[in-house]
Amino acid sequence: MRLGIVRGSVVLNQAIPALIGIRLVIIEPVNAANLAAANGLGGGKALIAADRLGPANGQMVSFVEGRTAASPFYPQDAPIDAYCAAIVQNIEFQPPTTEIQTASEVHS
Amino acid sequence: MFLARIDGHMTSTVKHETLEGFRLLIGQRLEGNGQTSGDPLVLIDTLGARRGSTVIVSTDNEPLRRAAGNTIPARLVVVGLVDQYRPTGGAA
Repeated sequence: MRLGIVRGSVVLNQAIPALIGIRLVIIEPVNAANLAAANGLGGGKALIAADRLGPANGQMVSFVEGRTAASPFYPQDAPIDAYCAAIVQNIEFQPPTTEIQTASEVHS
Repeated sequence: MFLARIDGHMTSTVKHETLEGFRLLIGQRLEGNGQTSGDPLVLIDTLGARRGSTVIVSTDNEPLRRAAGNTIPARLVVVGLVDQYRPTGGAA
């Protein structure tokens, strides 16, 4: 799963039968720099995901990609390759900052 | 399967019901030179990995389907905690 920020929803006026009734949201994937900065930005290429959770615009979600995205519709088949699996309530992300630590160790 | 470094964790109250009870960690994929690549990933962990852990992640969700049923919308599972990890270097 990756993380993304909800940027809106999509309504279809015609669709193949398997997609009828499925809510679709626009998700902007979050890259490592933006997640570490916690700046509310995404930075990735926007994609459409099926959704049953109803996140608000601007909320961060976790979405699964690939064939697994259709799993919630099992045993029915749905041509879905992204699915909003969880709304993020709290997230902590602190990658080690090796370069900065090294620099401060040199100075101290 | 690939290597990942655990850099954080997340919580969620509104989620697909099959994800209830799983620890959700944030990790980054590791390349052969020890650098991270790609977007941060949400990983499902049952082994107790922590921030700073190096883990092996499988993209097959068979253990998850076995534990939570066929409808689980998640794929990346921590399947092992790495004891020793020696990247040999190479092109960045």
